[in-house]
Amino acid sequence: MNRRDWLTAAAVASGSALSMMRLQQHKYSRDLRPKRSRVAVLHTDQYSDKLDEVVYDGLRLFNLNVRGKSILLKPNIVEYIPGKPVNTDTQLIGAAVEAFLRLDAASVTVGEGPGHHRDTDLLLYETGLSDQLAHRKIGFVDLNRDDLIKTKLQANYSDLGHLWLPRTVLASDFIVSMPKVKTHHWTGVTLSMKNMFGIIPGSRYGWPKNVLHWAGIHESILDICATVRPHFVIADAVIGMEGDGPLNGTARRMNQIVLSDDPVAADVMSARAIGVMPEQITYIQEAARFLGNPRAHDIL
Amino acid sequence: MQFNPDKYGWPWFPGTVSWVIPTALSVIALKQSAPCCRTEPIVNRIQLGTEMLRDRACPQGGWNAGNGIVFGSALAPHIDTTAIALLALTEGNDTTVVQGLNWLRQACVDCSSPYSLAWSAIACAVHRDEALNHCIAGLGKRLSSTDAISNIETLSLAAIALKAAEGNANPFEEVI
Repeated sequence: MNRRDWLTAAAVASGSALSMMRLQQHKYSRDLRPKRSRVAVLHTDQYSDKLDEVVYDGLRLFNLNVRGKSILLKPNIVEYIPGKPVNTDTQLIGAAVEAFLRLDAASVTVGEGPGHHRDTDLLLYETGLSDQLAHRKIGFVDLNRDDLIKTKLQANYSDLGHLWLPRTVLASDFIVSMPKVKTHHWTGVTLSMKNMFGIIPGSRYGWPKNVLHWAGIHESILDICATVRPHFVIADAVIGMEGDGPLNGTARRMNQIVLSDDPVAADVMSARAIGVMPEQITYIQEAARFLGNPRAHDIL
Repeated sequence: MQFNPDKYGWPWFPGTVSWVIPTALSVIALKQSAPCCRTEPIVNRIQLGTEMLRDRACPQGGWNAGNGIVFGSALAPHIDTTAIALLALTEGNDTTVVQGLNWLRQACVDCSSPYSLAWSAIACAVHRDEALNHCIAGLGKRLSSTDAISNIETLSLAAIALKAAEGNANPFEEVI
């Protein structure tokens, strides 16, 4: 038995797909972990205009250099189900827009490619996001129908090799993932990294982007985030969803907004907030090897 | 999930599973490709795709993207998906079609989206449903706003819907 065979046998014996992955050669091309990761947990008990100040004050804690940069806010807009906290709250999205403009960003755009709802305009209307954006005079890009650029993936967990990605995403200087903190019946949780599924264009991959499911959801999350790593996270954990998420679960009030300059640290914090152990989520554990730090160095 | 895997249609992407819209569009294409002389494989494939669509209908009528029930929870139908499925199911006296049309009529009343209204109008025109007038009125109202059309797909569908309502050629009408 040579060394590779021994390692493979040892991994199989451990009975864990994750252990198997760890013993294999690196599947990522770049180590993107920052030297320091920072997290802030803001407390608020309601969605209202007051979020403008709450988010702005929260962002200032990070001393972000966004002056003159193009900002893309990527919320989680999936489906409108009355009474269900499915989507990132529109007041929070509006507050983030306002905060980045006050920090002298050159432009702020909101972009999303809903997973299985083709009528994005209807979804924006039903969720109230179109009113919110019109009120603040902010543009929206339907990432499902944007111009596409063939892009080599910077990790190889899924074997997809490349994906066609929206020009708006690739051209943005600073990407902010804005997930709704929810449990997810396939991946355990859906947070800032899973939220990046929404940049994959339906016009190329369908509604839903089923090719990602077949390539492995955990694996696809890792490949996408290795290629387009969010620069910042604003997670909506004021009211999240537990149980049969991401659509049919029940509301869970947490009264938190999680900010972080590290998507892995943000997802670890958010998972715990919704009562899920991040150590049990395969993609979070693997992401901690190269995408970010599971423990924030600074809690702001 | 609650569906019959033996009833399958077409995927969005090769090597994945069946979804309502690609299946409906494939059934429509097959029906139009050889109306005069369908071979047995074509007839069988249309039949299988049609059975898949009936199998995946939502309990309240209409269609979501794929299954009507997931993890025991009924999913809500989508307007555009329902309209496109109805364009593939043109045989009369079908309970699934009747339920789908009933749901679509209600859903169109408050619909604000030109995209969904256009698909609904095209489907209502094919089914000779009276809701066509309401869809066209709603579409006209939305089109009067300069920023109503957000993409070329919606513009194209709106043009087809308006033509169909005038009784002109509807490319989704089955050729007999």
